[in-house]
Amino acid sequence: MFGYLGKRALHSVVSVLGLLVLVFFLTRLTGDPSYLFLPLDATPQAREAFSTLHGFDQPLHIQFFNYLGDLLHLDFGESLRQNRSAMEVALEAFPQTLKLAVLAIFLAGALALVVGSLAAAKPGSLFDRFASLVSLAGASAPDFWIAIVGILVFAVSLDLLPTSGTGSAAHWIMPIGVLMLRPFGLLVQVVRGTMIGALSSPYVKTARAKGVRRQKIIFSHALRNSLLPVITVAGDLATSLVNGAVVVESVFGWPGIGKLMIDAIIQRDFAVVQSTVLVTACAIFILNIAIDLLYAVLDPRIRYQTS
Amino acid sequence: MTVIPTDLKAGGKAEREPGKARALLGYLVHDKLALISAIYLLILILAAIFGPMLVGDMATKLGLRQRNLAPFSLEHGWLYALGADTLGRSILARLVVGAQNTLGIAAAAVVTSMLIGGALGLIAGYSNRWYSQVIMRLADIIMSFPSLLLALIVLYTLGPSILNLIIVLAITRIPIYLRTTRAEVLELRERMFVSAAKAMGAGSLRIVLRHIAPLVAPTLITIAAIDFASVILAESALSFLGLGIQPPQFTWGAMVATGRGYLANAWWVAFWPGLAILLTTLSLNLLSSWARTVADPQQRWRLQTLRRAPR
Amino acid sequence: MRNNGAFSTIALAALLASTALPALAQGGGKAITIVLPEQPSNLEPCGSILTDVGQVLSQNITEPLTVINPKDGTPQPKLATKWERVNDTTWRFHLRDGVKFQDGKEFNAEAVAFTLKRMTGGAFTCNNLAKFGSAKLTVTPVDRLTVDIKTEKPEPILPALLSVAMMVSPATPTDKAVNDPVGTGPYKLNTFTPQTVVLDRFDGYWGKTPEIGKATYVWRGESSLRAAMVQTGEAQLTPAIAIQDATNPETDFSYLNSETTAIRIDTEQPPLNDVRVRKALNLAIDWQGMAELFGADVLRASQMVVPGINGHNPDLKPWGYDPDQAAKLLAEAKADGVPVGTAIKLIGRNGIYPNGNEALEAMMTMWEAVGFDIDLQMLDVADWTRYLQKPFPQERGPNLLQIMHDNNKGDAAFTVPIFYQSSGQYATFSDPKVDTLIGEALNATDTARTKAFQEILAEVHDRIAVDIPMFHMIGYTRVGKELDWRPNLTTNSEIPLAEIRLRK
Repeated sequence: MFGYLGKRALHSVVSVLGLLVLVFFLTRLTGDPSYLFLPLDATPQAREAFSTLHGFDQPLHIQFFNYLGDLLHLDFGESLRQNRSAMEVALEAFPQTLKLAVLAIFLAGALALVVGSLAAAKPGSLFDRFASLVSLAGASAPDFWIAIVGILVFAVSLDLLPTSGTGSAAHWIMPIGVLMLRPFGLLVQVVRGTMIGALSSPYVKTARAKGVRRQKIIFSHALRNSLLPVITVAGDLATSLVNGAVVVESVFGWPGIGKLMIDAIIQRDFAVVQSTVLVTACAIFILNIAIDLLYAVLDPRIRYQTS
Repeated sequence: MTVIPTDLKAGGKAEREPGKARALLGYLVHDKLALISAIYLLILILAAIFGPMLVGDMATKLGLRQRNLAPFSLEHGWLYALGADTLGRSILARLVVGAQNTLGIAAAAVVTSMLIGGALGLIAGYSNRWYSQVIMRLADIIMSFPSLLLALIVLYTLGPSILNLIIVLAITRIPIYLRTTRAEVLELRERMFVSAAKAMGAGSLRIVLRHIAPLVAPTLITIAAIDFASVILAESALSFLGLGIQPPQFTWGAMVATGRGYLANAWWVAFWPGLAILLTTLSLNLLSSWARTVADPQQRWRLQTLRRAPR
Repeated sequence: MRNNGAFSTIALAALLASTALPALAQGGGKAITIVLPEQPSNLEPCGSILTDVGQVLSQNITEPLTVINPKDGTPQPKLATKWERVNDTTWRFHLRDGVKFQDGKEFNAEAVAFTLKRMTGGAFTCNNLAKFGSAKLTVTPVDRLTVDIKTEKPEPILPALLSVAMMVSPATPTDKAVNDPVGTGPYKLNTFTPQTVVLDRFDGYWGKTPEIGKATYVWRGESSLRAAMVQTGEAQLTPAIAIQDATNPETDFSYLNSETTAIRIDTEQPPLNDVRVRKALNLAIDWQGMAELFGADVLRASQMVVPGINGHNPDLKPWGYDPDQAAKLLAEAKADGVPVGTAIKLIGRNGIYPNGNEALEAMMTMWEAVGFDIDLQMLDVADWTRYLQKPFPQERGPNLLQIMHDNNKGDAAFTVPIFYQSSGQYATFSDPKVDTLIGEALNATDTARTKAFQEILAEVHDRIAVDIPMFHMIGYTRVGKELDWRPNLTTNSEIPLAEIRLRK
C-alpha cells in the first residue's frame, strides 16, 4: 500500500516538475509583458527599463535557472500586476474555487444517486425516460450560455437572486447550479447504468426471492455496489472542475483560481500563471491519489501493489 | 472528462456482426428519442455539407440598418425567420455555415486525438521500455496543463486559424484515448493469442498492429462518439472566452459569444446558436446512450421484447 | 459529514454577508457601491493614468498639483494654487496651504519634491512617467509652499503634464510600488481585497466635505451584468456599459469619452503607399451605417484629437461614403501599375472597444465590395501591439491596424508626434514637411501652438490621407436614481466621489 503510494507520489512530483518546465518556457513564447504592463505610448527606454527590472532581458535559460533557484527557497516570484507575491495571490483564490467545486460535486452526486436509483428501479417508466432526458440535457448544455440566461431570468427579470459576486448564501445558488449541471447529468447516467446491472444480478434476485422489501434492496444492496463507478466518475469531474471553473467564475465574477488564471494568461503575468498552474496541478494529483485510496477503503478486493 | 462504462466494448463488436443492420434499425425506430436524434443529426450533417453552397453569401451579407432584426417574421424573406445578428446578417444562414465549422472542427479534433492517443497508448501499453513511462507522464502533464493557456500559446505563436484550433482541442483530448488504449492493451497482451503469435516469431510491431489494434479500435470509436459532444462544448467555451476561433471565421460558440452582450434586448442573437449546440450535443448523447443499451445484453431485451410484444 | 462541511460554509457566508452591508457608513454619510469593468491591477499612484487604477484612485485618494479642464484643455489649480514661468526651462508653483496627507503628514514643497523623485527614481515601473516622454525634471523647494521645477528642454505645457503626478505622503516607500496609497484626497483606503476596494471619507480633507461617506468598488466583466446590478440596486453606479445596454434614459447617460477610433494605414507598403488607394479606403465605408454600431451620439472623426483639446481643427471635413468614387480611384491607381489586388491584412484587437470585432467585419465586407482583397485577423493584445509599435515585425506586408487613441490631457502634443512624426512610436510614414511643422508646433505657445497643430492635422488628413479616422467615441454610464451625477470627458480616467450628490 505505502509502496504504491510512494510510487504514485513520485510520478506526481515528476509530472509537476515537467509541467512547471513546460509552462515556464511556453508562456514566454507568448510575447513581451512590457507591451501589456506599460501604457501603449511608453518610450522604448521605459520598456527596456521594465525588462531589466524584471529580468526579462536575460537569456531564457538564465531566467529559468533563476526561477528554479527561487523555487528552492519557496519564492514563486512577484505578480507584475498586483505588486505582491504570486503564490499569495494564487493561494488566496484557490479556496474560492475549491469550495465551489466540492459543493457542486457533492450536491450533484447526492442528487444523481437519488434520481438515478429511482430511474433504475423502473427502467423504461415515464420517470426513467424523463430523468434520462433531463440529465442528458444537463450534460449537453453549454454552461456559459446557461449562466448568462440564468442571470437574465433569475436576477434581472424575476429579481430572486443576486446577479453575481460573493457574500450571502444566495450568491452561491446560481454558480453552483450551473457548475452542477454537467456532473449531475453524467452521474445520473452512471448511477442508472450500474444500478440496472446490480438489480438484475443474482444476489439481488435472491434477496427479492427471500422477500426483502424493494426499497430496501435498492438502497442497501444495489446502491452500495454502484458507489465505486460513481466515485471514479465524480473524481474525474472534480478534477475538471478544479481546473476549469473558468467560465462560471468569469461570468459570475467569482474570485476563484480559474478566473485568476485566465486573467494572468491574458495579461502575461508569468509568475501568477506559474503559481496557479502549480497549485491546481498539486490539487489534482492529490485528488487522484485520494480517489485511489477511497477505492481501496470501499472495495476490499482492490489491493495496490508496487509492481 | 468523458465517462466510459466498461460495457462499451461490446458496442462496436455488435455492430460489426453481419445481419445486424436491420435489427439495429428496428431498435432505433423503437426508441423515439434516439430516432429523432438520428434524424436531427442527419439533417445537420447534410446542412453542414451542402448548406454553405446555398446560403454562404447570405451569411456574410451586411444589413447595418436591420441590426438585431426580431425573429418569427417573414417580411425580409425566410432566411430572416430566426432574426438577424448584430450586423444585420441572417442568423439562419449563419447557423448553417457555422454548423460546418462547428462540426468539422470537432470531428477533426476527435479523429486526430483518437489516432495520436491510440498510437501512443499502444506503445505505452505494449512496451515496458523507458518511453512508456515518458508517455504516461506526458499524459499526466497534458491533463493538468490548462487548456486556456495552451490555446493562448498556440494562438500567439501559430496565429489564429481553424487548423490551430483543431490542434489545441486535439491535444487536450489525447490523454483520454491514451489511457483507455493502454489499459486495454495491458490486458490484451497477456492473452493466449498474443503469446501464440510471439511463439510463432511475430515481431512486436506486427503483433500490435495486426492482433491488438483491431481489438482496441471499437472501444476507441465508441468513446469518440461520446467525446464528440464534449469537444463541441469545449470549442464553444474557448470561442466564448475569446481564445477560440477568430473573426471572420465563426462557429456556434463564437455566435453565442457575439450575442451574449445583447441577451437583454435581442435574446435571439445568442439563443439560437446556443440552442443549436444544446440540441446537437443532446442528440449525440441520446444516440450514444441508446447505443449502450443496444450493446448491453442485460438491457437489450427492453428494446427487443417491447418490439416483439403483441399489443 | 462532507455535506455538513459544505453547508456550514454557506451558513458562514450568510453570516458574513449579514454584517457586510450596513446602509450607512460609520463616519456618517451614504455608502454606495460602484461596479467597474475590471479589477484594479494595483493601487500604485504612479499608475493612475491606467483606467482601472485611476478610476479608483484619482481625485479620491490622491490629488495632483493641477487638473485639466475638460472643456478647453487648460490646467486648473488643485494642490497648486497658481504657477508662473520663471524662464524658458523653469516653472514656479505656489502650493495650497493647510493640506494634510491622510497619515497626518503635511503637504508642502518637500512633499512635491519627494513625489517627483519617487516617480523618476526608476526603482519600480512608473507608468505615469510615459506622459512626460523624455523630459528630465529637477525639483527645488524655494520655501515651505513654493517649488521650482526645471526641465532640460523648454516645456511649454509643464502645468498640464503635472496633472498626472499624484502627490503621495513622504512616508511612502520609494523602492517599490505600493497597494496602500496615502494621498491628500477626500477619501482614504480602507481595504483592498480580491473582491472589493473600500474607501472611507477622510475627515481631515482640506476641501468641502463630500456627501458620500463610503464607497465600495466591485468589478464584473460583462456589461449586461453591470447594467443589471445598478438596475437591481446591487450597485449605484457603473462607469461603462455597452450601447445596447443603455436602454433607460432615466439612468443611462452618454458622454464623449476622449477616445478616437481609427484604422492606421501602413503607408510604407504597396499598394498603400499610393494616396489614391488610401483615399479609396476612406471613401468605401458607409459611415452612417457604421455609426449604428456605436450609438446615435458618436461624432464622425476627421482627426485623432477630440474637440476641446488644444490643436483640434474644427474646419476639417471627414471623408464621406462614396463607393463609386472609391472604385474609380482604385481603377486609376491600377492603370498606373499600383498592385491594388494585393491581399491587405486588416489587423484587429480583441475587445479593443465595444463592437470592435463587428466593426472590422463590416469594414472588411465594404472594402471587398469596392475591389480590395482584405484578410481580417483578430489578435490578442500582446500580438497586436507588435504591429502598433516600432520596431514593426519583419515581412509585415501591407496592413491596416485597428487602433483607438485616448487624449484627455488637453494638448495635441500627446497625439501628433507619436502618430505623424517620422520618429514617432506608431508612425508608419515619414514626410519632411510634416516633421518640420511638428518641430515648430512643439515649441510654440498659445495661439501659435493651436494654429500649428491645426495645420498639421489638415495636412495629414486632406493631402496625405495618412489614416482612416472613424469616430470620436461615446461612453455610456448607468447611474442609480438616488445619485445625482453626470459623466464627462474625464470619466474614463477618474470618478471623483466628491462630485457625487444624493438626490433629495
